[in-house]
Amino acid sequence: MLVKDVMNSPVLSVPEGLSLQEAHDLMYANKVRHLPVVREGRVVGVITDRDVRLACSPLAKGTVASPSTPVSKVMSHPVITADPLDPVEEAARTMRTRKIGCLPVLENNQLVGIVTGIDLLDALLKLTGVEKPSGRLELRLPDEPGQLALLTGYLADQGVNVHSLLTYPEDALTVRSVLRVNTQNTRALAEELRRQGLEVLWPPEKPWM
Amino acid sequence: MVPVVYHPGYLKYSFGPQHPFSPLRLEMLLDLLKSLGHLPAFHAPPQASREDVLSVHSERFVRRVEAASQGEESPELVHYGLGTGDTPVFPGMDEAARWLVGGALEAARLVLGGAGEVLHLGGGLHHAQRDQASGFCVYNDLAVAIRHLTKAGMRVAYIDIDVHHGDGVQWIHYDEAEVLTLSFHESGRYLFPGTGAIHEIGRGAGVGRKLNVPLEPFSEDESYLEVFEQVSEAALRWFRPDALVIQCGADAHFQDPLAELLLTTRSYGKIFPLLRQYAHEFAAGKAIFTLGGGYSFDAAVRVWALLYHVLQDLPLPERLPQDWQERWASHLREPLSPTLHDPERCYPEIPRKPQIEQHNRQIARRLLETVHPYWK
Repeated sequence: MLVKDVMNSPVLSVPEGLSLQEAHDLMYANKVRHLPVVREGRVVGVITDRDVRLACSPLAKGTVASPSTPVSKVMSHPVITADPLDPVEEAARTMRTRKIGCLPVLENNQLVGIVTGIDLLDALLKLTGVEKPSGRLELRLPDEPGQLALLTGYLADQGVNVHSLLTYPEDALTVRSVLRVNTQNTRALAEELRRQGLEVLWPPEKPWM
Repeated sequence: MVPVVYHPGYLKYSFGPQHPFSPLRLEMLLDLLKSLGHLPAFHAPPQASREDVLSVHSERFVRRVEAASQGEESPELVHYGLGTGDTPVFPGMDEAARWLVGGALEAARLVLGGAGEVLHLGGGLHHAQRDQASGFCVYNDLAVAIRHLTKAGMRVAYIDIDVHHGDGVQWIHYDEAEVLTLSFHESGRYLFPGTGAIHEIGRGAGVGRKLNVPLEPFSEDESYLEVFEQVSEAALRWFRPDALVIQCGADAHFQDPLAELLLTTRSYGKIFPLLRQYAHEFAAGKAIFTLGGGYSFDAAVRVWALLYHVLQDLPLPERLPQDWQERWASHLREPLSPTLHDPERCYPEIPRKPQIEQHNRQIARRLLETVHPYWK
């Protein structure tokens, strides 16, 4: 999944001479929290609703900005940006480590979109969520070549379609795999997978049956 | 006597001998009622027409079902949920599915014609969606019946006690103000189809009118009944439907091979009378009961026999007829319970019981808090 798959495009941007009041009104009217600031087609900063509120707040440290102050005085810069072909996890890591809420997306130095934390939540939902009616299988697999192939090969043999598959390391020796498959009858699959020596965590056995 | 809608065409809805959704369950049930001396005169429905089906399904989907039903093969069928492991194609699938829709529709006609409660002895295909077959369900007989009632000006509350979320019915009516859906199911975090979370509350005019109670795996009788009564009564007291449509899937039973809830027949022995009571208290006595999922032959047939006895005000038999038991035990090559009710302590103690109860209680509370602002 790439940044271009989750970014908002087209993106609303503002010139650096715009007043804080105007930026504030624009964000509220459009229900956005971030505005890239542009000079001659180049992104020179980012202003957020929080920047505006803090700058104008009597609680702010230092002088209180007037609503007519240009955004260039308050915006964050230089800007940390993303490329449309960056993987989403890279965008997430950048935002997490730099503690920022958005990444303007640039292609050939032109602003083509913006990624925010909300878009990354959408990506998480897409990766882990339920887009189609499906059942859940969860396994603990040895962290070795061929284990996942064994599992998916078996599912393929059964004509079971895998809608989504999430695998993450559990400890040094094992990985957890969570699959969504297009069947109600996951218990029968689990039983057969156990018979083949795989450790199925969900659905669990019902010892009285 | 509550009218019983049934047609032998129902038995043609069959995905093959290895498939869990087996018409044998219905045959066993009819045979049991006969052995008990209670086989009623059935109310035979006409088969539903293509137009009836189109009241809730898209034309392009119905066209694919018809083609597949006649043996046409096409790689695109899978995009319509057909020809999958769960919903394989079989010859005559369209006609068979239309018998089940015909039954639900006939039940709806009876209700409009003044009947109180009606039993549709089949159907309950709650996973079928507007544009897609899913989870053993081709056409959504429940939604067709609900649409028939709402077109006649009724407000309908749909209650679903199948262990799986009633997703098809929910999505088909998701933005309708005149349909309340209420599904009790094992949480979609664990069980097919994966939806049915408390935040799915409807859209547009339907907001606040789609309710889901996703229960913890291994939930037991007391906890289920507690949230069932709490949420059902609150929702029906507010919504005041003109009729109930109730999907009585039997797969929340502890013996079910597809799911992980632990109801015993004692729960069903309380749920069915409660549903009748709700129909009388909140819906002028009008209710359609259908069958649904339920994949343990032994459990599903006993649960539905219980439903039948409750609806017809018959005394419950303690033991099941010997000849019936022998006949079906040898046919299925598995032992059958000798009594209608499960024995006491029929499965081991669940160590997480208090946490499960606590969790379910909290789910019910959060659900009601979420929808309350829309209940005006």
